[in-house]
Amino acid sequence: MSEKGGLTVVGAHVAFGSRPGLVGVDLTVRRGERVALLGPSGVGKTSLLRAIAGLGGLVAGAVGVDGRDVTSDPPERRGIVYMHQAPSLFAHLTVLDNVGFPLEVRGASRRQARARAGALLERVQLGPQATRAPGTLSGGQRHRVALARALAADPAVLLLDEPFSSLDPELRADVRQSVVDLLDDHVDASPAVVVVTHDVDEAAGLAHQLIVLLEGRVAQIASPADLLTTPASIAVARFLGLPNVLPGTRKDGTTVVCALGHVRAPGVPGQVTVVVRTNALRLRPRRGGDVTGTVVRILDRVSGSTIQVDVDGHRLLGVPEHGFSAAAGDVVDISVEGTALHVIDVAAEQRRDA
Amino acid sequence: MRGRDRWILMVLGVWVLAPIGLLTLRALTPSWRYPQILPDATGVSAVLAGMSEGRLKSAAVTSLWLAFATGVTGTGLGFLIARMVTRAGRRLRRATLALALFSVIAPPLALGVGLQVVLLSLGFGGSRTGVFLAHLVPATGYLTLFAAGVFASMDRSVEDEARTLGASRRQVWTRVLLPLLRRRLIEGLMLGGLVSWGQLAITLLIGGGVVRTLPVEVLSLVRSGNDQLGSVAALALSVPPMLAIGLLTAGARRTGAVV
Repeated sequence: MSEKGGLTVVGAHVAFGSRPGLVGVDLTVRRGERVALLGPSGVGKTSLLRAIAGLGGLVAGAVGVDGRDVTSDPPERRGIVYMHQAPSLFAHLTVLDNVGFPLEVRGASRRQARARAGALLERVQLGPQATRAPGTLSGGQRHRVALARALAADPAVLLLDEPFSSLDPELRADVRQSVVDLLDDHVDASPAVVVVTHDVDEAAGLAHQLIVLLEGRVAQIASPADLLTTPASIAVARFLGLPNVLPGTRKDGTTVVCALGHVRAPGVPGQVTVVVRTNALRLRPRRGGDVTGTVVRILDRVSGSTIQVDVDGHRLLGVPEHGFSAAAGDVVDISVEGTALHVIDVAAEQRRDA
Repeated sequence: MRGRDRWILMVLGVWVLAPIGLLTLRALTPSWRYPQILPDATGVSAVLAGMSEGRLKSAAVTSLWLAFATGVTGTGLGFLIARMVTRAGRRLRRATLALALFSVIAPPLALGVGLQVVLLSLGFGGSRTGVFLAHLVPATGYLTLFAAGVFASMDRSVEDEARTLGASRRQVWTRVLLPLLRRRLIEGLMLGGLVSWGQLAITLLIGGGVVRTLPVEVLSLVRSGNDQLGSVAALALSVPPMLAIGLLTAGARRTGAVV
């Protein structure tokens, strides 16, 4: 627990009921930093949050908050607030008293609690709703009240479990932005934030770091840009839904041969998987280039900016060169920006999995 | 309301209310003999006499005491048991709820004879405490089933969030759960009280005729041929259930809940 400020999880084993779940999870989130946990349904994202919060499931490992080992502390003494996907506001309290709840249970007088709660409600633009019952609020308002209540607890760590999944799509972006604004604005004591989501775009828009959980383990920790361009494994690339994943071979230790031709990528000879970003796969009219493909369909019909092409039986997504307009069935030249190409060693991955 | 629904409601109303109506009529009638379809005369003299009758007053006080004690204790026990089994494994939950159901559906005579063996040997025979302990068995069964339904429909995340917001286990109970459960606790109190209020077989078996509750007096009056005073006492017996329905309906109307 040497890490100061924020959340530290070391070697966490988390069980789902009686069956094994996550194994050996290490996690560090500094105060003011936002980290998103990504993974398929059932991988254990929520279980990990609950284990961190002290709500059960931690079989082994340690949880630290601001450099203090809280593994054996009860939930109320950890400095960690856990927010469910559907905010659980207390129906018997007004909006103001809901926000003041964490202060009152910590010994603040009702007057002090209400004063602080009122200020927080103003920050989430819900001051006029202070005397209302939670049941009379809209979904977005309830989320903002729940967040104000969580911040009233002045947590060192804030855990958000799919915070926007119960909202309508148009409301989701709005509430997400207000959450980001509020967290960024909370400079006096910014908590370390861990968000669970299975929406990659949402995670990328919300978090500084993304953590992918696959098959009971942390598969990759990276910034949103790095994760989407350099997935650590084929499984991560598949989970992220990256469209351009194709097999290749590194023959002489420097060059990879794949459907996109010869690409310089030094490494151990053997089977590799090549990942290319959609916007790095450029399509242009046929001028006798080395690599060609046949346009299968135009995916973005409005702008014509995303095109699916068939290259040696591999369906890939690319973008047309400026001013180029392709039609289904056209044979086009394909070029790839060298730096946009990411190569994964299949053998190394198999060794890691073993 | 459609025509068919109106008919169903009318038949149900007659089915339920006719006995109460006839009971009221009998309580107001000094003499009503076969083959008279309706009584010759009615008056409130028997009702007034019943109200001033010492044994009925005393029986009513005993019944009220038992109902209150059973309601309060049964609600506490039922909610605690239900709370524990809601969090327990499936096997323990099923076994506990089956036991609770058994105490509800078992014939009162069978339950009473079984309880008699235990309570008499412990020296509780013929005492109000013994009758209270005996009433507690079916009442706790009812209330465990009732509370299990309440807890099953309650979102556990409320407690989890309260804990991480800084509330201790005790504060979760005092500041969150009990206020949220207030209406259900009042309903439980009434339900438990009413279970005790109507007990006859168990009361006779454990009380041995010494503990005289209102149902015991009704039986005694009817068996001795005092039909009018018996009807007055029986009418008094049906007042608390009607009051409970009225209170629950009013409470539901205020909160928008279904009774």
